[in-house]
Amino acid sequence: MTALPLECYYAIFNNLRHNHKSLFSCALVSRHWCRIIIPILWNEPGYHFKDKRLIRILFLTLNAEEQTLLIPFNISLPSHQKTLFEYTSYITSITRDLIIGVRNLFPNYRSLQNIVKFSLIAMLVRTSKNPKHLILDEIICNPLIFEKLYEKTILTSVDLYFRYNISDDLKYKAIDGLIKILYKNSTLNSLNLRSATLGAKGVITLLEALCNNTVLKSLVITIH
Amino acid sequence: MDNGTSNSASENETITLKSCDGIEFHIDARIANRYTLLNNWNGGESACIPNVNGKVLEKVLEWCEHHINDPQLNCGDDDSRRRNTIIEEWDENFLSCDQDMLFEIILAANYLEIKPLLDLGCKTVANMMKSKSPEEIRSAFNIDNDYTPEEEEQFRKENEWAEDY
Repeated sequence: MTALPLECYYAIFNNLRHNHKSLFSCALVSRHWCRIIIPILWNEPGYHFKDKRLIRILFLTLNAEEQTLLIPFNISLPSHQKTLFEYTSYITSITRDLIIGVRNLFPNYRSLQNIVKFSLIAMLVRTSKNPKHLILDEIICNPLIFEKLYEKTILTSVDLYFRYNISDDLKYKAIDGLIKILYKNSTLNSLNLRSATLGAKGVITLLEALCNNTVLKSLVITIH
Repeated sequence: MDNGTSNSASENETITLKSCDGIEFHIDARIANRYTLLNNWNGGESACIPNVNGKVLEKVLEWCEHHINDPQLNCGDDDSRRRNTIIEEWDENFLSCDQDMLFEIILAANYLEIKPLLDLGCKTVANMMKSKSPEEIRSAFNIDNDYTPEEEEQFRKENEWAEDY
């Protein structure tokens, strides 16, 4: 086989980016191909986030702080071997399929589901080198996550669902986090806040930040 | 280089391209005008293309001639071009050459910055890999497996979520 420059291999495999089965086979062909394919394969796991096998690999990347949250629930995490690649660094989209995957893994344990979701999302936001889309159905108003998001200045799309019964304190921290993102981030062009029980004060602060934002192209706020 | 002059190249103008093994091709100046690298070399009436031999250059120019009246895509159209997975019949026949030639064409298109041909070649190779097992791909492209059994097992374990569909 004629040797091609790296960018040509990348272009070839990029044609298969939505065909994970074919990428899997190609990655097993040789170590050279594998190194090129892994960033494409892990770029957008999409519906595979629902797969328990993928969630178990994500657990391997939790750091001590993120693991500590899970200790009270006594769940057995996979033994901490080093993965072949830093897979999660290539993930660019965190979607609501992840929430479904966690639900599939721990059916009937709602409080555990929430903690697991939180620690996985915190880890993904922390480790992703290039997060572009964050689409989440449930409560992610935790200041810890917003702090990490705040550092990711290349985020292009945020779609958040504010749960109706979150405490006022947490709500204001979340708004504060969002506002920081709006001021700092120069790439965020789509913001969707659903069921946003932000309160009058929250809405005013948010609107002030929005007035100064020139990048946003799409904004949807659904207030109940 | 005066782009203004070359942009006005008309149907009758020809320039001479010489491959690395000395074979000359007289081509419609609009072809050179269309692709940046060929354009940059076209300081005069002839240009030498190092790195591409006559056999491959002939194929590349055949493709360029066939597509001379295609609408030109600018950089912003990258996504729409990639999204289009249908390969035209003429292009499909054109690229159903032997594998070495296909890779040589990709290499030349990359070198000469002929993006639509590069995309087409890459798409064709990708299609050849679809729905094949690793072993079948290795044998089709003559590649040695350099995984250790342990590495292969670990890779399968960490990526098994992608294996089924």
